[in-house]
Amino acid sequence: MSAAEQIEGLVRLDQIDPGHCGIVRAAGEGEVDVDLLKSMGVCLGRKVMLIQAGDPLILKVMGTRLGVSARLAAQVLVEPCAGDAFGQA
Amino acid sequence: MCGRRFRPGLEKEIRLITGTSVGVGRTATEIGSELLVALIGNPNAGKTTLFNALTGLRAKTANFPGTTIERRVGHTRLAAHRIRLLDLPGLYSLSGTNPEEKLVRDALLGRLAGQRQPDLVVLLIDATNLERNLYLASQVLELGLPVVVALNMIDLAEQAAIDVDVERLGSELGCPVVPVVARTGRGIPELRGLLESVVHRPWTPTPLEGVPSPEECEGCPFKARFDWAEQVGLRCSAGRSPAHGRRTDRIDRVLTHPWVGVTAFLGIMFAVFALIFWVAEFPMDWIDRGFATAGVALGTWMPDGYLKSLLVEGVIGGVGGVLVFLPQICILFFFLSLLEDTGYLARAAFVMDRLMRRVGLPGKAFVPMISAHACAIPAIMSTRVIEDRRDRLVTMLVLPLFSCSARIPVYAILTALLFPHRPVLAAVVFTGAYSLGIAAALGMAFVFKGTILPGESRPLVIELPSYKLPSLKTALLTMWDRARIFVRRAGSIILAVSIVLWALASFPGTDPPAEAHSMLERAARLSSAGDEVAAAELTRSAESLVSQHALANSFAGRIGHSIEPVLRPLGFDWQIGVGILSSFAAREVIVSTLAVVYGVGESGADPDSRSLLQTLQQAERSDGTRVFNTATAASLLIFYVLAMQCLSTQAITRRETGGWRWPLFQLGYMTVLAYLCALITFQLLQAAGVT
Repeated sequence: MSAAEQIEGLVRLDQIDPGHCGIVRAAGEGEVDVDLLKSMGVCLGRKVMLIQAGDPLILKVMGTRLGVSARLAAQVLVEPCAGDAFGQA
Repeated sequence: MCGRRFRPGLEKEIRLITGTSVGVGRTATEIGSELLVALIGNPNAGKTTLFNALTGLRAKTANFPGTTIERRVGHTRLAAHRIRLLDLPGLYSLSGTNPEEKLVRDALLGRLAGQRQPDLVVLLIDATNLERNLYLASQVLELGLPVVVALNMIDLAEQAAIDVDVERLGSELGCPVVPVVARTGRGIPELRGLLESVVHRPWTPTPLEGVPSPEECEGCPFKARFDWAEQVGLRCSAGRSPAHGRRTDRIDRVLTHPWVGVTAFLGIMFAVFALIFWVAEFPMDWIDRGFATAGVALGTWMPDGYLKSLLVEGVIGGVGGVLVFLPQICILFFFLSLLEDTGYLARAAFVMDRLMRRVGLPGKAFVPMISAHACAIPAIMSTRVIEDRRDRLVTMLVLPLFSCSARIPVYAILTALLFPHRPVLAAVVFTGAYSLGIAAALGMAFVFKGTILPGESRPLVIELPSYKLPSLKTALLTMWDRARIFVRRAGSIILAVSIVLWALASFPGTDPPAEAHSMLERAARLSSAGDEVAAAELTRSAESLVSQHALANSFAGRIGHSIEPVLRPLGFDWQIGVGILSSFAAREVIVSTLAVVYGVGESGADPDSRSLLQTLQQAERSDGTRVFNTATAASLLIFYVLAMQCLSTQAITRRETGGWRWPLFQLGYMTVLAYLCALITFQLLQAAGVT
């Protein structure tokens, strides 16, 4: 993820401010837990809101709250945006 | 570019397995035959509640992700068919990346051993969150099996001002859709009617417009499928109250707070245990009196002899001593079910994750840990959701340290010995016993992380469902289910062990001691002189002496005496030693063993026949001191919190780890831990003058 982290304008999901949204632009590949996260809606193009920071943190995606380890959230890069956590950007 | 036609992703696979063409022209089985119907859906979609509503059978409500680890089967009857309903684990996709997904995929493809492919699938979709649920729906529909969609929680959708176009949704998915509220039974008759009509007509799957095929799709397959789900969701539902979910957010601010959340968790568990003591006291007293009365009645009616002794001491004393704790078990599971159903237990897992990760346990271990408070056996089996072998092994090794329901009778009797008729202090001790089990499990996990099983645990991913009112019916069914298991256990293992123990405690018969003879002669002389009260008292003392002499010289007594030197530093006498040995097969047997070896109900016709608690409170050593003083009761409590003492758990650990190495290690470390902690407790209390 270190290379991807350098993509301009993108921040790690665990680093956005609580109450703010981000559009998923990149996520780790080949890891079972990341795939589970994707199947729960945290995948490319989805809008995700950080409800509560910390470790684990709480996300809202597609109207559902997820409790996610910060270590896992760090593998997701988002483009900060406005709005709520329903649907696609 | 993704394809925009029906994607028969698994079609070839199914055809290879079943030898048939999937879906097209598929017809229902003949009238009168049994249909196999699979129930599938996301976790927290209300799947198990629907299973209960359709079959009336008991199953735990899956409001906590991952609760339904194994498929469950129930039966129901339609007008022309008998239905065999498979309750499959809740899941988010059919990708097969974890054991649950693989299990469900295998079940739907007819790959499970001894089970054919389902004739029909009931796909549960949460009406309050179409988009999320449609992801799995798209994968299920692609299998080509006949599908009926049950659109659950339509009442909550209405409350949130979400307007779902049911007809449009049916048209988009190419299958019938029926709105239901599984919790209240709304829509269930219509769902049953739909099942009947679907199985009576040929089924031809309709292509899903816009769902990508992995062969044709570039980029992220999750994205393309969620895009489709979102488009369908937008076309089929409208509106969403801005207030939707705010209540859950507000509650979560408190219950998921790093410190407040943990405090709330401990407070909630304490409140549950306090309620268990207050509410259960009355029915427990009724049951206790009922068994005591039965013992007296049988003792009066039957002539003296081995049969009377077997029935009064072995059966009534042994089984009754355990069944008296049934109310506490019922109340515990009633409240656990309510907590699970509200959505709280997922928060408990969330707040506990920080702590668990520090000791090397994965977040997913919390689900088996909650189950372990019922029984370690299903808990160890449910560790299959943990993919990583190290994480799974550590979890399995420490799970028996969590206080299972079999320990409740032991805790209850020892707590009552420590603080009789003081429910607040009893609740504190009970909570302490549970907390010690949790602390020991976490501590041992930490030790394993730093020694024999080094490494980091897998990260947490858990859905935090919206809070909702729990289902009283589900809680009652769960309670009934657990009570049935407990009573069945009391009627089988505990009864068998009680009878064996009675035999060990009754044979070989020995001649009464000379002192008893002289006491009886003195009693006879007192009776002739008209002093009936003194005569009766002396006769009782003589009978007690005979019993103690017989037990001390019985097989059980000899075994107990032989191990007494090892147990004496823990404050245990040879009778408790017999109890510990006999309860190796099942922990709760210690209670029935104590009832047998301390002779509950043995006075037979005596109208003052004492209950187990009274007997243990009054049990004395040869030097006249109480056996169950504070130090011994506390030491025994600590021992039972930490000791393995369950043969069934050992057997299941062997099966899940594929050998005897780990179960033997588990038995060894737990026994040593229990012995050392009980030793320290007893010696410290004695040194402090607490007896």
